[in-house]
Parts: sequence; structure tokens; C-alpha cells
Amino acid sequence: MVYVIVVYDMQADRTRLMLNFLRKYLTHVQNSVFEGDITEGDLETIQNKTRETLKADESAIIYRMSSEKYVDRTVVGEDPTDDARFL
Amino acid sequence: MDRNYHVFSDGRLERHNDTVRLVTLDDEKKFLPIEKAEAVYLHGQIDYNTRLVSFLNKHGVALHIFGWNDYYAGSVMPKRGQTSGTTLVEQVRAYDDLEHRVDLARKFVAGSIHNMRTNVSYYNTRGHDFESVLTTLEETRDRLEETTDVAETMGVEATARRAYYSTFDDILPTGFVFDGRRYNPPDNETNSLISFGNSLVYANIISAIRATALDPAVSYLHEPGERRYSLALDIADLFKPLLADRVIFRLLNRNQLTTDDFETDLNSCLLNERGRETFSKEFEESLEETVEHPQLNRKVSYQYLLRLEAYKLKKHLLTGEEYVPFKRWW
Repeated sequence: MVYVIVVYDMQADRTRLMLNFLRKYLTHVQNSVFEGDITEGDLETIQNKTRETLKADESAIIYRMSSEKYVDRTVVGEDPTDDARFL
Repeated sequence: MDRNYHVFSDGRLERHNDTVRLVTLDDEKKFLPIEKAEAVYLHGQIDYNTRLVSFLNKHGVALHIFGWNDYYAGSVMPKRGQTSGTTLVEQVRAYDDLEHRVDLARKFVAGSIHNMRTNVSYYNTRGHDFESVLTTLEETRDRLEETTDVAETMGVEATARRAYYSTFDDILPTGFVFDGRRYNPPDNETNSLISFGNSLVYANIISAIRATALDPAVSYLHEPGERRYSLALDIADLFKPLLADRVIFRLLNRNQLTTDDFETDLNSCLLNERGRETFSKEFEESLEETVEHPQLNRKVSYQYLLRLEAYKLKKHLLTGEEYVPFKRWW
């Protein structure tokens, strides 16, 4: 498992493409920002699909950490990942 | 390992943009990452349709439904991905061969006595005197080897469990009494926690068995019944002390659950929604706990231990390799 943060920048009317795709794997934390624990295999899928989806002037950045333990994460305000598994 | 998702709100669960979305009654929308889901547990009043069911089926995700007052109401399982006639034939053969069946039944009981004993001896060194219970558990374990039929084995397991449950009144904080196991419906807080905890263990094992080609209805210790997955009951006995009971002790002794988290009715007592949520959270966290596995030489989660148990049983049935039941080693 790896812990990833994905941020992307796309034309306004195209952002939903990434939104809908990433929702299958990660938790949506802010506009154009996702995070979560995934397998190496899923990370590969995400990279490939992202490459296909993006147009020339758009970009996505994937931060990858070997575990959530290595992230010092401070949230000010409400944490969107709170209880993501208890709906 | 994929995760369990628990839905406590009321509303509608639907397929949306190739993943699963919950629309709550006040129109809040929450997404559930389908690629990371192992199973979805429904505790609230939820509507769903066939489109969702086929979508979950495609992703191999089970839906475990807890009905009114959180009785386990059933599961919508994905279509079997694993089918193997050989496994089923061997599974039934072992059931039909009395000696083989008793041997397996004894192993399930031996494992569960061992795991009950681990809990008791933990508290024995922490200000309680459970020496007599430990002795009883050891005696039952010895008696186990002499059993010749399944009913007798079942009897030994009942004796052991009664001795084990007798420690609960001491371990639990004041305000919580246990006074023997009662269900249908549970009559006090402790019994309702045990019922809820055991049903979560049971549902998780159903998912684990589904990952193999084993048939969940053919069992050894428990009599295979109609309309229930009795193999899951066999395996659940091994894990109840580790998964359900430890969570109960932890939550009550830390005051994370109080009598306010229960609803008492005429002669039943059940967790309310907040209580169920607290319990499920702690339960999921304990499923994710990991331990170094001596044979696999890597860390495995408790949840994976459930699956390993199903794999081990299948391997035993197919290759004759000895089945060693899960015994807590740490």
C-alpha cells in the first residue's frame, strides 16, 4: 500500500472527468485534490488513466508516500476524510 | 487489503459515475471508492436497486444487511468468482466421514479455547484472579481429545465458553452486568454488544470464505442448517475472542461506550445508532491491526487472518495437509 495525494489542474469544464475517475479510488478532500491509501497496482492504473485524460495544457501531480505514517497532516477546519468509511 | 464501509445514515445507495454514492435523506451526497471496497455494511434504512447490485457484483463487493435493531438480516453476495467442483466434493467428503468431521470440529474448538484462554490470562495478570477459569479451560481442552462425536465436541465448547463468559462480570466496569449469555433478543448491554460484535465477525468471515471456492453452508462443528452459512459459524468461533470480545472490553473499560448508547425495551436491550457507530469504528480499527506472521514472514492484518483461515481449510481438504486452527501467537 502507498499513500498518495493527487492534485490536478484542468480546464474548468473538464475537471469532472478526473473527479469521477478518482472517486473510485480515493477520498475527495478539496476541489481537485484527492488523497488516500491505495495499492501499487491501483496507483499504476491512476497514472495511466491520468495520462490519457489530460490535454496538453493540463497537469496532475501525484505525491506518493510509502505510508500515511510519513505524512504530518494538519487540518484546519473540518477534515473531509473524517470517517470516510462510516457514511 | 480492501476495506469495509458502513452506512449508518438513512437514504439511497446508488451507482453513480462508475462508483457508489450515498444520497442521504437531507440530500447530502457521499462517495464510496468502489475499487477499495471489500464489503458494504448497511445499518440504516437504505434503498437500492438492481443497477447497484449488478455493479457491486461486477466489483466483487458484498452487501451485508443489518435490519431492524441491527439483527443480521442477510447478505447480497457477488456471483461466485471461485468455483471448484473438486473443492466442494472434498468439503462434503470430509463432512460425511465421521472421523474426519470430528477431527475438524475438535480443531475449531481447540483453537477457540486457546483464544479464549489468551483473553482470560491477559486479565489474570491485570488485577483479576482467574486461575480457576484457566484451569477449567485447560481441562476442557484435554477432554476435547477424547470426544468421539460432534455433539460431544460441541458440549465441550459450551462448557469452555460458559467458563470464559464467567470472567466477563469481573472484567467489565461497574454498571455493566453480564450474567450469562442471552440472545434473541439480548437482555442487557453486554449481551447486546456480544451479539453485535459476533454478527460483525460472522459477516466478515462470509466475505473471507467467498474469496475461496469453499461452500459456506457445509460445516463441521456446527450442523449445516438451512438458510445459513454454518461454515462461517465454525470459523467465527475462533475469532470472536480476538475480534469481538477485545473490542467490547476496550470500549467499556475506556468509557467510550456508556449506558446512554443503548436502548432498553420491554425485555431487550440494544445498541442505539451512536453506539453501533462507535462499536463499528473500533471493530474496523482492530481488523486493520497487523501482526507479524511467523510462516509468511510479513505483517498481516487481522482481517487477512480471516482469509488465511479459509485458505488453510481449503488446502487441508484438497491436499490433506494438516489444518492448524488459528491460535493467537502474540
